[in-house]
Amino acid sequence: MSDPILRTENLTKEFGKLVAVDDVTLDVERGEFRSLIGPNGAGKTTTFNLLTGALRPTRGTVTFNGENVTALPPHERVRRGLGRSFQITNVFSGLTVRENVRLAAQAAREGGFTPVEEYLRRSDAFDDVNEHTDRVLDRSGLLGRGDEPADVLAYGDKRRLEIAIVLATDPDMVLLDEPTAGMSAEETRATMDLIDEVLSDRTLLLIEHDIDLVMRVSDRITVLHRGEVLAEGTPEAVSEDPEVREAYFGGVEA
Amino acid sequence: MRDDCSADSGAQPRPSRRRFVQAAGLAGVTGLTGVAGCLGGGGGGGSNAITYGVISPMTGPYGGLAVGQRNGAELAIRHVNENEDIDVEITGVYEDTEADPSTGRRKAQSVVEQDGASYLMGAISSSVALALNEFAAEEELIYNPGGAAVPITGSNCNEWVFRAETNTAQMAEAVSDYTAENLGTKVWFHIADYAYGESVMQRVERRMRDGHDIEVVGRSRSQLGSTNYNSYVSQIANSDAEVAVLGMTGGDLINFVKQAASQGLKESVNLMSPTMTFSVVRGALGEAAYGTYGGVRYLPTLETGDNQSFVEAYQSEYDSLPDNFARAAYMSIRMTARGIAEAGSTDPAEVKEVLPGLEMDTILGPNQFRDCDHQAMNPVWPGELVAPDGGSGPATVELGEMIAGADALPDCGELGCSL
Amino acid sequence: MSVASAVAEQVLNGLVVGMVYVLLAAGLSIIFGVMDVINFAHGELFALGAYFAFAIAGPLGGAGFWVALVVAPLLVGVVGMGIERLTVKRLYGRDPLYHILLTFGLVLIINDLITSVWGKSAQPFPVPSVLDQPVALFGFNYSLYNYGIIVFGSALALGTWLLLNRTRFGMIIRAGSEDREMVRTLGIDIDRYYTLTFGFGAALAGVAGIVLGAYQNVSPTMGSSVIIPAFVIVVLGGLGSFRGAVVGGLFVGLVQTFARTYAPFLEGLIVFLLMIAVLVVKPTGLFGTSVGAGDHHDGALLHGSGGGVLSAETRAKLGYAGVGALLVVPLLAEVTGVTYSVTLLEDILIWALFALSLDLVLGYAGLVSLGHTLFYGVGAYASVLTLMHVSPSVFVALVVAVAVCAAIAWGVGYLSIRVSGVFFAMITLGFAELFYNAVFKFDFTGGSDGLFGVDAFYGLAGLGIDPGEFAVPLGPVVLDGGVVQYYFLLAVVVGSYLLARRLIRAPFGSVLQSIRESEERASFIGYDVTAYKRRAFVVSGGLAGLAGGLFAANNGYVAPSFLHWINSGEVIVMTVLGGMGTLYGPMLGAGVFVAAEDVLSSYIDQWQLAIGVLFVLFVIFVPRGLVSLPRTVADHPLFESAVGDRFRDRVGEQAGVTDPEVDRHE
Repeated sequence: MSDPILRTENLTKEFGKLVAVDDVTLDVERGEFRSLIGPNGAGKTTTFNLLTGALRPTRGTVTFNGENVTALPPHERVRRGLGRSFQITNVFSGLTVRENVRLAAQAAREGGFTPVEEYLRRSDAFDDVNEHTDRVLDRSGLLGRGDEPADVLAYGDKRRLEIAIVLATDPDMVLLDEPTAGMSAEETRATMDLIDEVLSDRTLLLIEHDIDLVMRVSDRITVLHRGEVLAEGTPEAVSEDPEVREAYFGGVEA
Repeated sequence: MRDDCSADSGAQPRPSRRRFVQAAGLAGVTGLTGVAGCLGGGGGGGSNAITYGVISPMTGPYGGLAVGQRNGAELAIRHVNENEDIDVEITGVYEDTEADPSTGRRKAQSVVEQDGASYLMGAISSSVALALNEFAAEEELIYNPGGAAVPITGSNCNEWVFRAETNTAQMAEAVSDYTAENLGTKVWFHIADYAYGESVMQRVERRMRDGHDIEVVGRSRSQLGSTNYNSYVSQIANSDAEVAVLGMTGGDLINFVKQAASQGLKESVNLMSPTMTFSVVRGALGEAAYGTYGGVRYLPTLETGDNQSFVEAYQSEYDSLPDNFARAAYMSIRMTARGIAEAGSTDPAEVKEVLPGLEMDTILGPNQFRDCDHQAMNPVWPGELVAPDGGSGPATVELGEMIAGADALPDCGELGCSL
Repeated sequence: MSVASAVAEQVLNGLVVGMVYVLLAAGLSIIFGVMDVINFAHGELFALGAYFAFAIAGPLGGAGFWVALVVAPLLVGVVGMGIERLTVKRLYGRDPLYHILLTFGLVLIINDLITSVWGKSAQPFPVPSVLDQPVALFGFNYSLYNYGIIVFGSALALGTWLLLNRTRFGMIIRAGSEDREMVRTLGIDIDRYYTLTFGFGAALAGVAGIVLGAYQNVSPTMGSSVIIPAFVIVVLGGLGSFRGAVVGGLFVGLVQTFARTYAPFLEGLIVFLLMIAVLVVKPTGLFGTSVGAGDHHDGALLHGSGGGVLSAETRAKLGYAGVGALLVVPLLAEVTGVTYSVTLLEDILIWALFALSLDLVLGYAGLVSLGHTLFYGVGAYASVLTLMHVSPSVFVALVVAVAVCAAIAWGVGYLSIRVSGVFFAMITLGFAELFYNAVFKFDFTGGSDGLFGVDAFYGLAGLGIDPGEFAVPLGPVVLDGGVVQYYFLLAVVVGSYLLARRLIRAPFGSVLQSIRESEERASFIGYDVTAYKRRAFVVSGGLAGLAGGLFAANNGYVAPSFLHWINSGEVIVMTVLGGMGTLYGPMLGAGVFVAAEDVLSSYIDQWQLAIGVLFVLFVIFVPRGLVSLPRTVADHPLFESAVGDRFRDRVGEQAGVTDPEVDRHE
């Protein structure tokens, strides 16, 4: 427990008088599958937005890979290896599947581009980017569908593409925002399998309110309640915590 | 020398100087262009046939004025064609400049290249007229501007431009003495902030100072196209001004005077604008114009020259009285046609040699395009706007003493032109 | 007269101007805030109100004004509802850009109808005689009608506020502006309320037209003279905030009035400076809380790419054929005697380049620049000034034009790209108007006349071609200077297209396309969206400057009209007309637009009406532009049944954009 990839210290977000996130301190270990759960209004989404950079905290810091990223905008965090997926599938629907992934691979290219490359060379003429793209397509099972426009993909394949885009940015850690929201049990299983298959070698932080799902997949669980950390530990430990049982399990499962 | 397929006959496109490939040598002219022209020929045809391009801002802010310009041109062309004394056959082509210099210039190009026009009349705003000035010089054709800005026959003059419209300097002369002698010597200048306004202020002030002891108590400038003038009206009302000279036209002048009248400014200060008597202004102001003063460059009631027969013909044709823009267009084309007749040639290059200084009768009496700048020497009048006989409706104009053309027009040198 | 009462009088003046602005902005603000429609036709509805009143009041005499004050707004309201039902309604859910286009067409239609009914001249519309007299209050004479404007404006603002906040109608339309679906699920027919709202907004415009018509005069240009200030007030006050429109209007009125007395140089600039300052400090305007219904992501921008039936090779061949045709036109023109076609083509090429520049930001970065003529005009001025004062070389002039415009684009982009959607459109419009009004003020720009009589030399340091003296014999004909100009222009335009295509196919362009598809997603795969947009804006500004600079150098003059907002509107129309996001589409659109206007305006007097109707039909039925026409035709049931499955199979490969109609993103 000595190498946290992501750490928040006293993270607080106030909207006027409402304290959405209250003094949250988190350590996510490299390589672990962490889940952040809590009932509606517990501050999950706000915390997520503070981690991605979509919101700035009122107080507190976010440290990623040992660097203070509190003041960095989203794209800078992504460039440092903090990827995210979207709850509602958010792909570039007017572009092809390959182009979707290639754009992410292009963003993650080692050393970036020289001005001439950036402005004047064809974007599909970079062998390293293309290889990376193919690897990601292959790994996410989309290799045969690269030339299809993204908006005609079936729902499941769109989720697949969503994950593939995240993978192509080559993240050290991925923030997953309720990836199975609104899905049937069948779809949920498929999606979690996909995440496991494609992203298992990355650190994952799952924001979720489906407690059963979380229990199944997580290494450790952090429970948020009214913006504060209520409990943290292994699924077993959390599920037996009396405070958690009262605040969370009681309410939702009734 | 002019055969049926001569370069200037109205029947064929005139080779533009700005064209792209010129026929090489004389043989080429008849061999290539000439054949095309003869084959494509139709109307006109005589050795004395020309095409007059009339390009007016039919759409845009000058649309109301452009109608008169087009009508006046149309009537002039008909009268010239009917007149046996003037041996010229004119075909008119009409285009819309949209009050935009780029469009105006393209349309000019169009009437020259498509319709074979070698004479141009039109435009009202000075930037379109100046663009056409340049165009006329490049293409070597005669142009009669419909704009009144001084530089058109002043600092931007050229030998191809002949203006029958009365210019701003002449109008300033019309009102300056009258203002200083009758309306007050403590003067406030309010102008719309553009070339025309500046030129009114400059010229009226200079002429008023010349022989009169006047004091300028204030100056203000509003943005061209403003709709609200209360703030300026207050400034003038709170000053010692006896007379306010307004260097603005059209909507600007209308809005200013209307708001000034409503605020009671007319009771303490005389309002004078060179363009106050213009029919558009009087028409839109109604009662608000009563008791104001202006310069007169044309009124249908004038007894000068053959004006009354012009008015009669215009009225029977268009069912309305001609305004100044109709007058200017009519005069432009008729005066130029007399030059063509005098030259015995339709070639603009030859016409421009005889036209300057050529004495002729016009609807404003004996007249000429002055030698040194090709500005027509129109007479002008000061005028007071008074309630019409019926008691309501547009003001009628009580004419002051006529200022003859020679007295109203400053020296060429002073206006910045010497041809 | 004491200083105090002089100040009091100016305060009163400021309040009158402010109330005038409030009257203008009220209806616009409601339509804008509730329905997210940028209604350029608001000015024409305003004029229509004045004309209806003029027509009603005239025959009735004394009491006519008061009858008109009631009846005319109702009529304008009915016209407004008709417009909503027939046109605006079809565009809900699309990007506000399409409303700009639609209402741009409506402006032409309504204006043309007004002039054909009431003529082109200004008409007198007198203040009712009861109010037409000065009264002495507070130690000075002041127009009773002006007091009337203040009272009437206040009452109207209060009444509208009560309607919006204290009635069921108001509740519903405000709720609808927050969340349309929610209102719909409550079983309320929100569409009907939208029709009413549009009618109400139009009626308010009509009221303003009557009150101001009596204050000024009634003329066909009265609409276009108020529309820009009205937008400024609405944006400055805060989108969707009626209170903002009222406070913003009064604030601008007061500031403007005092500036006239104490800082006259700022006349004409102050309104735009205020707007820019407010938006830079507080992008949502004085009282705007959030971007709310104006959120750019709600609407779909429909680009033309992917909509073609023609294969890439066919398009490339068509392109080569097109350039080939352009190469031989001057020769053909001489043989056939139709030299004017070359003149027209030169104009078309300039506009094509201008439209191409806009497409880079509009079609690829999704930025609706409503002030693009800023770059066109500044490029033209920079080019002419360079030719006059620095060097006669057209190359130097163009380099300066591009550099100056790119620099200005960087500055404008720096200040405005972080504000999105409608705000960006308005802030760019503000900058363009600022420059437009500024060139009138300086001697070095030639004031209102512009600068004339400049000759360009096609070379550097004495080596090159002077078009005035150029002549090369070639068989039976001689090539002259016009040839140099034309081919130089053609080369620059084709070169710019190739450069733009390169950029778009390079990593830079890929990122722009991703931004257009989803800004949020692009940022979360690691792209600095703002920086990319700003760079695109700089490139685009530079190219637009090149277009303006070329025009000015070729024609030897520049005038303030180069900076007029109508150019910005027209270039947007061309871009969408052709099919944005394709580069070649907007160039095609420019050709069709310029040629259509040229031909129509030569042959019919009511050409504005014709063009207006054409726009409206286009925006509604062919939103992806001319380049999508082959596909639209191919997908049409009539065509399908005639040609059968054979064709269908080929089209089916690109199933992506089968439906040219718009998805409702709600």
